[in-house]
Amino acid sequence: MSEQLYQRIMLEHARNPHGAGKVPRGTEDGEALNSACGDDIRIALQWGADGRLEKMTHELQGCAVSKASASLASQKLAGLTTAEIREVAAGFHARLGQTGFEKEWGDFQMFNGIEKFPARIHCARLVWQAVAQALAKREGGAP
Amino acid sequence: MPSEFTNQKETALFQPEHVRRQFPIFEREVAWLDNAATTQRPERVLRAMDEFNRRHNANTRRSVHRLGAEATAAYEGAREVVARFIGGESPAEVIFTPGTTVGINIVANSLAHGGIGPGDEVWISAQEHHGNWVPWLKATQTLGAHLRIIPLLPDGHLDLARFQEGLAGGRVRWVALTWVSNVLGFENDVRAFCAAAHGAGARVLVDAAQAAAHVPMDVRALGCDFLAFSGHKMYGPMGIGVLWGRAELLAQMEPFILGGEMIGRVEEQAATWAEPPYRFEGGTPNVMGAVGLGEAMGWLENLPAGAHEHVSALAREAAQTLAELPGVRILGPAMERVSLVSFCVDGVHAHDVAQVLDGRGIAVRAGHMCAQPLLRRLGVESAVRASFAPYNTMDEVNALVEGVRAAQELFA
Repeated sequence: MSEQLYQRIMLEHARNPHGAGKVPRGTEDGEALNSACGDDIRIALQWGADGRLEKMTHELQGCAVSKASASLASQKLAGLTTAEIREVAAGFHARLGQTGFEKEWGDFQMFNGIEKFPARIHCARLVWQAVAQALAKREGGAP
Repeated sequence: MPSEFTNQKETALFQPEHVRRQFPIFEREVAWLDNAATTQRPERVLRAMDEFNRRHNANTRRSVHRLGAEATAAYEGAREVVARFIGGESPAEVIFTPGTTVGINIVANSLAHGGIGPGDEVWISAQEHHGNWVPWLKATQTLGAHLRIIPLLPDGHLDLARFQEGLAGGRVRWVALTWVSNVLGFENDVRAFCAAAHGAGARVLVDAAQAAAHVPMDVRALGCDFLAFSGHKMYGPMGIGVLWGRAELLAQMEPFILGGEMIGRVEEQAATWAEPPYRFEGGTPNVMGAVGLGEAMGWLENLPAGAHEHVSALAREAAQTLAELPGVRILGPAMERVSLVSFCVDGVHAHDVAQVLDGRGIAVRAGHMCAQPLLRRLGVESAVRASFAPYNTMDEVNALVEGVRAAQELFA
């Protein structure tokens, strides 16, 4: 049942997403497009002098799952270095739709069970694709 | 879903339950309202394909053995069924394709050999599916020609007057037009567009993907030059479709897929082509698919009276009822419905609406529906689409509306 997908935490994130704002086309650090449904996200990253992410702003056309994922990413990635962000991203991809998220992953546990809705896994990944692109751009390497 | 036919609004003339029983898939509990994406297959179609596979499987036209002759007869028999079904003059005008998209690509590709050059124009409409958009986009870009778009009137209908102005410019060579939009759900006056285009010496291809299951097709009455549709949207199997073309035009056309079955004579450094329709059927054909499609057409012709009226009544009822829900916007005029309704729900993304409906056993389509330019013109990012067939019931329409309400509540 769809109620299993839309847990309370997900609905809260989707209703009041952290980091939602305007990222005018052309100013984004990273972008991702879901060609299957037309959803897209643009993100802008603000870095501190200490090399840590101060703020991630995102502008998103998408469903509750992609909104909640973008919100959670904005919340969790603030204060991290690029290396730390890559580590979180790798952990996210290893767990999403596969092993699931352990207790210490906190709100990420809202994605546990998403494997029953395979069409929605790419919605949760959307923001992370944009993050990978932004990191690659910042580091001048491959995403 | 309640499987018993109970709703008062259904006419005594047509009983969807009688049709529904012919579809093995409904042994599963599902309200299949995604018929515009693909329809389900009746027992009769499944059996015909099974029979072909079990008893007659062979490659066509190149075998002297008995099974080869049977397979060839089955394939060419299906071609004759198609020709009759669409009012064509000859089976030689019927090309079997994998589906609508490939049919359109065959014709769009031929533009390169059709004398279209820089400055010439190809017109499509703002309603087109990507399948009737990007082949023409690529062709015009490659040839230095222009792709022009017939705009929409405020109610979503195509602007014939604007098209006629375009024709007056004298550069329009080709027109490609959908008969029934897969998003807006009404029938375009294709006949008027064909007449106008022919008056200016342009050729017309009609995308009949969403018309084939619901609107009687008569290519001669329609007045088009080419017509493309898919088997799996009319109760046949996937992987088979039809491109119909006027014999005199097919005779001048270059092939698209090159290889076996489509040749005349092959030398080391030269080749000639077979006559139509074989010229356009390179490679081993989908005989099983053709058999299934022919059977599906037979099934459609034997539908009880009132079946098509029932389908459009379901779509109208869904459109009207959904339009009455606060925060729901339906796309296109509520009353003009062949078989489907697309809608948007304020504050709830289409995918989330579809997910909630799926949780209630209702299958609908959500997203851009392969019509991104149209949705952009309508000012929406994505939409939900419910599309109907004779096996659907008014109870399913009611369940759809209830489900949309539930989605609104969940995301309120």
